[in-house]
Amino acid sequence: MGLLRRHPALVPGLLFSAALLVAPALAERGTLNDLWNMAFFVVLAAAWNLLGGFAGQVSLGYSAFVGIGAYTTVLLANAGWSPWLTLPVGAALAAAFSVVVGLPTFRLRGPYFTIATIGVGEAVRVIASGLEFTGGSSGVRMPPGTFDFNSNYYAMVGLALFTLGLVAWLQQHAFGLALEAIRQDIDGAEALGVNSTEVKLQAHAISSALVALAGGLFATNFQYISPGSVFDFRLSLTIVLMPIVGGMGTLTGPVLGAMLFSYLQIKLLASPALRDSYLFIYGGLLIVVMLFEPKGIMGLWERLWSKLPRRRTTAIAEARRAS
Amino acid sequence: MPAESAPILAVSSVSKRFGGLLALDTVSFQVQPKEIFSVIGPNGAGKTTLFSCLVGAVHPTSGSVRFRGQELSGLRNDQIVTRGLVRTHQIVKPFRDMTVADNVRVGVLYGRLRLRGAKAREQVDEVLGRTQLVHRADAKAGVLSIGELKRLEIARALATGPEVLCLDEVMGGLNPAEIQQAMALVRALRDTGLTILMIEHHVHAVAGLSDRLVVLNFGKKIAEGQPGEVLRDPAVVAAYLGDETKEEARA
Amino acid sequence: MQKLVVVALNSLLTAGLYATMSYGLAVIYGVMRIINLAHAGLMMLAAYATWALNDRFSLDPFLSMVIVAPAFFLIGMGLYATVIRWLPRSSAGPSMQSLLLLFGVWLVLQNLAYAIWGGDTQSILTPYTMESVPFLGGRFGVPQILVFVASILSLVGLNLVLRRTFLGKAIRAVTQNRDAAMLSGVNAGQIAAVAFGIGTAFAAMGGSMLSTLYAFTPDFGRSFLLKSFCIIVLGGMESFTGVAVGALVLAFIENFASAYTSIPVSFQDAISFTLLVVVLVAAPGGLPGLWRMLDRRVVAR
Repeated sequence: MGLLRRHPALVPGLLFSAALLVAPALAERGTLNDLWNMAFFVVLAAAWNLLGGFAGQVSLGYSAFVGIGAYTTVLLANAGWSPWLTLPVGAALAAAFSVVVGLPTFRLRGPYFTIATIGVGEAVRVIASGLEFTGGSSGVRMPPGTFDFNSNYYAMVGLALFTLGLVAWLQQHAFGLALEAIRQDIDGAEALGVNSTEVKLQAHAISSALVALAGGLFATNFQYISPGSVFDFRLSLTIVLMPIVGGMGTLTGPVLGAMLFSYLQIKLLASPALRDSYLFIYGGLLIVVMLFEPKGIMGLWERLWSKLPRRRTTAIAEARRAS
Repeated sequence: MPAESAPILAVSSVSKRFGGLLALDTVSFQVQPKEIFSVIGPNGAGKTTLFSCLVGAVHPTSGSVRFRGQELSGLRNDQIVTRGLVRTHQIVKPFRDMTVADNVRVGVLYGRLRLRGAKAREQVDEVLGRTQLVHRADAKAGVLSIGELKRLEIARALATGPEVLCLDEVMGGLNPAEIQQAMALVRALRDTGLTILMIEHHVHAVAGLSDRLVVLNFGKKIAEGQPGEVLRDPAVVAAYLGDETKEEARA
Repeated sequence: MQKLVVVALNSLLTAGLYATMSYGLAVIYGVMRIINLAHAGLMMLAAYATWALNDRFSLDPFLSMVIVAPAFFLIGMGLYATVIRWLPRSSAGPSMQSLLLLFGVWLVLQNLAYAIWGGDTQSILTPYTMESVPFLGGRFGVPQILVFVASILSLVGLNLVLRRTFLGKAIRAVTQNRDAAMLSGVNAGQIAAVAFGIGTAFAAMGGSMLSTLYAFTPDFGRSFLLKSFCIIVLGGMESFTGVAVGALVLAFIENFASAYTSIPVSFQDAISFTLLVVVLVAAPGGLPGLWRMLDRRVVAR
């Protein structure tokens, strides 16, 4: 019970999770597709947030990990593997790649790191489009008989819940404090014994593995992938925008962002006029958020909440206690 | 003077060059365990640079630093801290958005002791107690007063469970009463077994606290010994007064 | 040997273009410590503007630069006044906020282009597009040569402004030490606006030139942005001569790779991306930083 009092958001969170899990019995396929998409976005946003929001290293190259997970699943499935068994392999490969990328680039500060990740993401896409065994730019297809929406749905929702739980757990413990310290003052953190590179590499590995798992499920669900669909810069962009708009460095921020963007995606796909304006919307959102509330929706919420009268009485009580 | 035992810290011919500027010039000295050892000198003498070299925030251009006989050059800042050598910063920079308790917790979790769970919580409380910050434990570090911030800086370093604590001008900007408190704290810390290096400008504090001290000027060591002799050394006095004495002598 | 000469000359031609577009980034970074990701969008927009002028009025793309460059100078100043001005300035270097903000601007510009001109690939065809000139055993395209001439002119012009005019000196002063410049009476805000205008104008010139050499879509610009960034990091982000050197180095590496190795053209972009990462990590001070490091080792003190 103490747990619930400390984290009031847990109640709606649990209710929502329960709703998601019983949905296949009640809702129709169209809605289930939308929910699947939202869960997919939640995984991407929450996982990215581990490195980007909590540690403060903004990577614009995360589609590389989606692609690694997706391609590993398709290629191994075509070689006879069961799709489920391909998932951990994809996750491991993504984590390994994240270390290879992270070792040189984590020496870079802030924006330089971000630019380097754009470069890495693009290099991966270019190479994937050029290689023969990955099917080149026309992509690859899953073998027949591997499609099962229901189990995929449960897996994706389960992955989303697992990701949120894992990130919450990490945040509460030593690892989360190290990430926060690194984000606020990396030199100060190192002056207190934090091996910042090691911590960053770990965060990168965990988040890239989660993203790769989502990529593998994506491949199984859509049965066909290409560099344009999984290594796309637009995907990297969406992954980054969700936590930024929702609120980086918080737990609920990425979830809010994921909900917003999956909603946006539905609306955009439905109306041709809006589909052509998605860059306006994304770009406009980014500009507005950066100018007015860099901490996103959660930041706005915090600002409004601290202005409520309830907060002021608490401050007075605090002052009385201190004197 | 304690009998000839192995020094806990041995600085040998440490030099540091920043481009064209020679900030430290073959500085050598040794510190005995449980000593209070001060580093003094006029502004720009290279004292803070020396501390930076000791903890690995900056790598010496040449020379060596041995801590308990172990060579430290080439090691990273966090590696040296986990071995037991830590410093405070002259310009305090806490993790502003974290509570005071969490600021301290970082050192407890990642310093030399690497405590977890209940032991970690105890250590945080103990450190906060020593630095009189218990009543501010849940406040965000950004709202502290300057005196409290200085104590927090010491608390953060203490939390790492060091054997050698380097204090960089902890008394800067404090009023006389606060200085007395700070001096008492330093003595209390030494009594728990810590070795303390201090950079300090307050001559009374230095004279009252230090067992020995070293004087730097323009990156070079110009004197070393006990406070009584060193502070009367004409070369030291001249360094602090600068060219004024020379001009007076000429006139 | 003769092949080497041809490769070297091709590199030189390419370097001119690279330098022009990179100066756009360098000026803005120097004065405001902002990494202008919208640079890519501005280049692309200028390419479209050049194409539109060519399509509507049959205006030669090189001549239209006379219109495009000043127009984009004004657009740049406008961008500064409406959006950039409000960014908090952090003394610790470029901020994530500014990076992401300009990224948003880039996206908006892309959409603008899609909305006006659609997503089809465009290119400019002039009477001389297919012409080439033989020289020292190689053939060099006329557009490439004209681009080189245009870029040299723009660089000479920039150099004159930077060295001979008060404005130029003010820009250099703010780049080296903003506070000292302000103490000397320089209005940093105005200089920032002008610098942003100049940076945009150079991005536009780069875009115009690119439109004569390559086909383009609204998505175009990303690889050139990365190349520009690679160049200014190579050149040591605060040095103007460094940009020229960086442009030469990158152009040479690219041309060399395509002439002497069998790396397919599509992989070439990967070269500049990798080089960017390598340089950022191994030599953050760029070539000048490397030089300083070597210099110290050679001249022992």
